[in-house]
Amino acid sequence: MSRRVEQKARAREKVAALQAAQARAERRKRLLLAFGAVAVVVIVVAGLVIIRLAGGGSSKTATGPSGSADTQIVGALKDIPDSTFTDVGTDAVQAGPSAITAPALTAGGKPKVLYIGAEFCPYCAAERWPVTVALSRFGTFSNLGTTHSSGDDVFPNTATLSFHGASYTSQYLAFTGVETTTNEQVNGQYAPLDTPTAEDQKTFDTYNQPPYVKSGGSIPFVDLGGKFVASGASYSPEILAGKTQAEISAALKDPSSPIAKAIDGSANVYTAALCNVTGNQPANVCTSPAVTAAAGKLGKS
Amino acid sequence: MSKTAGTGQRSEPVTAEREPLGWLPWTTLALSIVGVAVAAYLTYEHFTAGSTLACPDTGVVNCMKVTSSQYSRVFGIPVALLGLAFFLGMTALSLPPLWRTASPWPARLRLAAVVVGVVFVCYLIWAELFRIDAICLWCTVVHALTLVLFGLVVVREALTSP
Repeated sequence: MSRRVEQKARAREKVAALQAAQARAERRKRLLLAFGAVAVVVIVVAGLVIIRLAGGGSSKTATGPSGSADTQIVGALKDIPDSTFTDVGTDAVQAGPSAITAPALTAGGKPKVLYIGAEFCPYCAAERWPVTVALSRFGTFSNLGTTHSSGDDVFPNTATLSFHGASYTSQYLAFTGVETTTNEQVNGQYAPLDTPTAEDQKTFDTYNQPPYVKSGGSIPFVDLGGKFVASGASYSPEILAGKTQAEISAALKDPSSPIAKAIDGSANVYTAALCNVTGNQPANVCTSPAVTAAAGKLGKS
Repeated sequence: MSKTAGTGQRSEPVTAEREPLGWLPWTTLALSIVGVAVAAYLTYEHFTAGSTLACPDTGVVNCMKVTSSQYSRVFGIPVALLGLAFFLGMTALSLPPLWRTASPWPARLRLAAVVVGVVFVCYLIWAELFRIDAICLWCTVVHALTLVLFGLVVVREALTSP
C-alpha cells in the first residue's frame, strides 16, 4: 500500500519537474525574443547614426545657388483673381506695415518702395512673397530670382524669390530690392551679395529702429514711400515648409489654402499701404473690397 | 470577524498583502512622467515659436531647426503634441493598478504603444540625421526615454506572460 503511494508521489514529482522545466524553457524563449527585439531596435538606431557619421545620405538642399523664376511662377503672382484676395481677407496676417511720419521716400519722381533683406533669412523668404504679389498689382517685375533660406537656420530651406538682379517697372511706384547676402556660407559667414546705397542704408538705419518698428535692425525691412515701414515677417514661414516655389505660386489662387490666406492676406495689407502711397492709384486695385477692408489692418508706430 | 456588522457583507481585509510590483513597472512609470515633462516643454515651445527653447541654435545641435522643420508635423499635427499624448498614455498605463489587473488589455496597450513609439522614434532620428541635418537635444531625450520604455515594457511582458 505504502509502496503504491510512494510510486504515485514519485510520478507526481516527475510531472511537476517536467512542467517546471517546460516553464523555464518557455520563459527563456520569451526573454530571448524580448532581448532580440531590443537588440534589433538598438542596431537600427546605431546603424542610422553610423551611416550618417560615415557621410552617407546627407541632404544639402539649401546650399544650391539661386536661379531665375520661370514665367509660370511670375505669371501666377500677377494673375491672382480679385475674388481670391476678397475671400482670404486678412485674418491670417499677424503683422502689417505701420504708418510713420517721415519725409517722402521717392525715386525718379515716384514713391519708392525699399526692401532690405538677405537670401539666407527665413523671415525674408516668407515676406518676399506678399511684397512681390502686392507690387505686381502696381507694375511688372522682370528677372525675379528664386532661392531658399539657409538650411542651417530656423524654418530651413524655405522656398522663396530673390530681388537680387530683379528690376521693376511701374507708372506708380519705384522699387529697390537689396539682398545683402546669399544663402551660402563662406568661412562661417554668408557671402555678401548686394550693397545698399548710402541713402538706402541711411533709411534702414533711421527707420528700422523704435519707435518706427518694434525691434531695431531686423530684416526684412520694407519702407513704403516713407509713409509705412514693416520689419520682420507678417506670417510664420512654417506655412511654406516643404513647398517649392511652383507649389507656393500655384496655391495663391486657392482661397482655402493656408498659403493663400497668409500670402494673399498679407499682400492685401501691403496693397492697402501702397494705395495710400500712390494716392489710390490704380483705382481698380485700390477700390477693390479686399484692399479697402485691409486698410484697417495697417498699424501705427 | 471579517463580517461587517449588521450588513452581512464581507469587508476587505485591512492588511491584505500584495505582491510587490518590482522595479520595472516603477521605472516605467517614472520615465513616463519624465517624458510628459519634456514633451510638454517641447509642445509649449512649438506653440510659442520656440522663443525660449533652451538649446543651441547653430551647428549640429540646433533644436529650432528641427522643431521648425517640415518634419515637426505629421498630417498637420505637431510631433511634440503626439509625443505628449504618448507619454500621458504611458503614464496612465503604468500606474500600479494597471500592472496588477488581471485584464490583458493594459499590457497589450502598453506593448502596442511602445512599438508604435519606437517605430516613430526611428523615423524621427532618420529625419534629423538625413533630412534636417541637425539634432535637437530635447527631442533626443524624448527618443532615449521611448527606447528605454520599449525595452522595459518588452522585457516585463516576457517575464510575466503565462
